[in-house]
Amino acid sequence: MLFEFDAEQRLWQDTVRKALLKECPPALVRGIVDDGADAAPLWRVCTDLGWTELTDPADMVELAIVLEELGRVTDPTPFLATMSRFAPLAPGFDDPRQSGTAVHTGVTARPADGGWLLEGTARHVLDGDRADRLAVVTGAGVFVVPATEVTAVRVAAFDPVLHLAEVTFPGVRVTEWSRTTADPERARHLAVTGMALTMVGACRRALEMVLDHVRVRRQFDAPIGSFQAVQHKAADMHVAVERARALAYFAALTIAENDPRRRLAASMAKAAAGECQALVFRNAVQLFGAMGHTWENDLQFAVKRAKAGELMLGGAAEHRALIAEECRATDL
Amino acid sequence: MRLTFDTDVETFRAEFAAFLEANLPTEAEAAERPRSSAHIPAWARRWQRLQFDQGWLLPGNPPEFGGRRASVIQQYVHLEELSRRRICHSYNPQGVGIIAASLLSFGTDEQKHRWAVPVLRAEITAALGMSEPGAGSDLASLRTRAERDGDHFVVNGQKVWTSGAHDADVLLTFVRTDPDAPKHKGISVLLIPTDTPGVTRRPFASYTAADDKDFNEVFFEDVRVPAGHLVGPLNQGWRVASGSLGHERTLMWLGEAERMARAVGDFRPATPLQKDWYATLVMDLQALRLLGSAALARAARGEQDVPALSVLKVLGSEGSQRALERALEAAGPDGLDMSATTAPYHHMGFDDDCRGWFNRYARSFGGTIAGGTSEIQRGIIAERVLGLPRR
Repeated sequence: MLFEFDAEQRLWQDTVRKALLKECPPALVRGIVDDGADAAPLWRVCTDLGWTELTDPADMVELAIVLEELGRVTDPTPFLATMSRFAPLAPGFDDPRQSGTAVHTGVTARPADGGWLLEGTARHVLDGDRADRLAVVTGAGVFVVPATEVTAVRVAAFDPVLHLAEVTFPGVRVTEWSRTTADPERARHLAVTGMALTMVGACRRALEMVLDHVRVRRQFDAPIGSFQAVQHKAADMHVAVERARALAYFAALTIAENDPRRRLAASMAKAAAGECQALVFRNAVQLFGAMGHTWENDLQFAVKRAKAGELMLGGAAEHRALIAEECRATDL
Repeated sequence: MRLTFDTDVETFRAEFAAFLEANLPTEAEAAERPRSSAHIPAWARRWQRLQFDQGWLLPGNPPEFGGRRASVIQQYVHLEELSRRRICHSYNPQGVGIIAASLLSFGTDEQKHRWAVPVLRAEITAALGMSEPGAGSDLASLRTRAERDGDHFVVNGQKVWTSGAHDADVLLTFVRTDPDAPKHKGISVLLIPTDTPGVTRRPFASYTAADDKDFNEVFFEDVRVPAGHLVGPLNQGWRVASGSLGHERTLMWLGEAERMARAVGDFRPATPLQKDWYATLVMDLQALRLLGSAALARAARGEQDVPALSVLKVLGSEGSQRALERALEAAGPDGLDMSATTAPYHHMGFDDDCRGWFNRYARSFGGTIAGGTSEIQRGIIAERVLGLPRR
């Protein structure tokens, strides 16, 4: 196994980073949270740059790079929901200009007039209040529904940049034409891996901010970053981020190569990202001291995004249980 | 980024597998067991020599030094095959992995042929004399003195933790040759045959068992060492220390991965909590392999990044320690039994690997203490990887 970016992937990473440095600076996220600024222009940048076209499994590592980098800047757009949740459930419904999300539970499909009637309410739908389309997983299959057919109400989350919604299907009539051929199992691996990559990016950002802080913050006539107690916490964060990042890209690679280990790999990625965020949140806030506690400090965006990820699509403990079962059947 | 190797690497793997298939000593041949890390039974000497002669001992070396000029990736595959079969290629691992390697990097041609080749061919064994009672993590403060006297050095002082010294024929010894220079700049390296008058070796037991004697204290009292035994330039010993330990690190994580893989393989979780622990071990192992192979790919491109290898050491040594701690806890009262076995006996492996969980757990501290403690590694990560200021 050659687990390292090739020259093209390194170039791609560099391109993505530079684009986000320009198009999604901390001031944009701050403006969205405090002043209600609009994330739509950034979404258009993402589509203009072709990032929403990375839906082919062969592009998975490139998509993974975008997801990690967007996680790093607390992505305020519906990119994650579109690419890791909607797209894998809606092959054949590609439209790189439109956003999307997925609904996995709470909606039933009842046969009606040669089609189906979708009814029910789904909670905590990522970007459910602003996605253009929804891929709805039901007992009768996966259906793609335009957002205009449902009612959605945004729910405030502790991550102030995150969009979560309660989505009600008041009896949406669908036909065979809107049913997809997606494999929900594979789609789930991608959703889990995408979330893990986002969390890894957010954790990396938190670590970078901590490092910047402890290099300049002085106490006892020395930068606090020169004290061992601080250094060792930072080193632990780095090891946790490297571990989680390796497992996240391994999961992406198993999806790209349609490798049978991808189910196990996705759970390892999510569990490692979950363990990483717990340590990073704790150490980052601790090392920032009282400053880390303030609304003005952008650290909150990174650690909250990482923590929010842990609470979606199964936490670390749940995925570890899956790993323990799965790894007996899979030869790593 | 790929999950598979090129065909030339797989061909290399198949060739090595065929060599093992055809030449591995049988269990009956391997009845005599090694008693320390510098004691090689006669059958194992023959085995090591065969590997040397056929270029499989250290495949990265040129043929005259037991290799076949294999690439870094091929060397990795070689170690992977050994580890998968629980085969140890030398029962004097420090002799082969550190001492011979240091001589090949820093020694003269004469030293390479007089000392490195016999160590590699298991004609003699070697031990590493670095630590002292007052110089552990702060190795550069070592005080064993070597003073020039004509065409000899006269050595006085003491080493400790010198694994296998009582069975070794020669010690690669770090000594102070210039007490007035800054501490990193007054160190030199000498090859000291253990039968030289004035060398006293005293093995002592580890805490795992009263008869587990691999550690040694070594005392030097007016030991006369020919000047030709100086390895590398005078007072440049620190370079040898960082070089010999540094260049081994690219592949050293494999040893930890091996230990962890054995723990994962031998640990049978029963309860949900044990399964939860187990999953963490599986993740640690996979992450270590992934990060290790990334480091390897960098090394193959010629980018040596030694500080980054500290991440692998922390992850690997602490991961296997955690694994063994949990396997011991999961064993319950069965874990108390000194004669318990936790893995099938394998005559080509190290006997300690199949002993009880306590024994295996207790030994795991070798990983977190030797070769730079976890605390030292964290300091390296903080200062040299993350760029935090020095105290």
